[in-house]
Amino acid sequence: MKLVLGIGEPLIGRLLTYDALGMRFREVRLRRDPKCPLCGTSPTITDLSVHRNGTGACDVSATDGHREGVAVGVSPKAGG
Amino acid sequence: MKTLKDMLGEARQVVPEEGPAEVARRLAAGEKVVVIDVRDPDEYRDGHLEAASNISRGFLEFRVGTAVSDPSTPVVLYCQTGLRSMLAAKALKDLGYSTVINLQGGYQKWVQSGMPTVRDVPMTQDQIQRYSRHFLLPQVGDKGQRKLLRSKVLLIGAGGLGSPTAFYLAAAGVGTLGLMDGDTVDITNLQRQILHTTADVGKPKVESAARTLKALNPDVNIVALPTRITVDNVMDIIKDYDLVVDGSDNFETRYLVNDACFLAGKTNVHGSIFQFEGMATVFAPNQGPCYRCLYPTPPPPGLVPS
Repeated sequence: MKLVLGIGEPLIGRLLTYDALGMRFREVRLRRDPKCPLCGTSPTITDLSVHRNGTGACDVSATDGHREGVAVGVSPKAGG
Repeated sequence: MKTLKDMLGEARQVVPEEGPAEVARRLAAGEKVVVIDVRDPDEYRDGHLEAASNISRGFLEFRVGTAVSDPSTPVVLYCQTGLRSMLAAKALKDLGYSTVINLQGGYQKWVQSGMPTVRDVPMTQDQIQRYSRHFLLPQVGDKGQRKLLRSKVLLIGAGGLGSPTAFYLAAAGVGTLGLMDGDTVDITNLQRQILHTTADVGKPKVESAARTLKALNPDVNIVALPTRITVDNVMDIIKDYDLVVDGSDNFETRYLVNDACFLAGKTNVHGSIFQFEGMATVFAPNQGPCYRCLYPTPPPPGLVPS
């Protein structure tokens, strides 16, 4: 709603995490990755063809497994 | 005694003018500018810039403070042809507003340049009552409510995250809600996916969601998309929306939504949960990082339960 209304401060560049058991909110500042294949300075993804190889999403050819980006220590959550 | 021509000449010394294209560029770039339509309310109602608030010339000095709290914020003024607003802009300069820009050629030139405008239709008595608590909030008000009613938000997933999101956006009067989910309701969903009811088990989620949301707020136009988002349909679907909310439950979809939103220039509101932990952020193209900046590669299968 804030984005639609153009009010307040949206979570652009900030990751808000919520631990419901410990009842804690945490905020992690996120930076753009200049090496990002999509929005970095020399992008390699310029259309959606990367999603057409059946493995979908992503560069699963990367051999170093899952790398966490700038939000070190915040693991991705699967559930919707 | 000064003539009108003298007064306009003096104003032009201190007030820069920008044409429709330049002003449109500022707005598209998300610059923090305040746009004020200084025409009379009936002129404003007939059509105005979407970003504009209406403070007619006669009230400008009295009410500008409510629209512009910080005098260093750039202000764009316009009237019908750019003359009334030129004098109005001079008055704001005299009041200490540091950057005041006059829209050159006014609303007339804006329209002739093919720029988008909006027209306020009167709210119904029901709407005036339904949204009365929004009208009391100075940051929302009548203008904000109209923005919400004109806005179009696409929700990817009508499950655990999509349910409360859709519920609140519909209640608030977001005019168009696109709901995209290819699943049917399962009884195991009901403990958290509050859009659906026991009677909906086995039905498409978007169908039960549409019924629930329509019952809550008949103002809202629900676009039910009973399908999974794919590389073939994503661009065509998101182009119709102002904002995308990703409440999906798998990494493949997240990367796809992220990439499509970036390429289409759409802001992507992202949320995810696991057990008792949740996270939320906003990916706005060229204003901040994207999902790939955060997670360059997906976790190996099995590490994170899906």
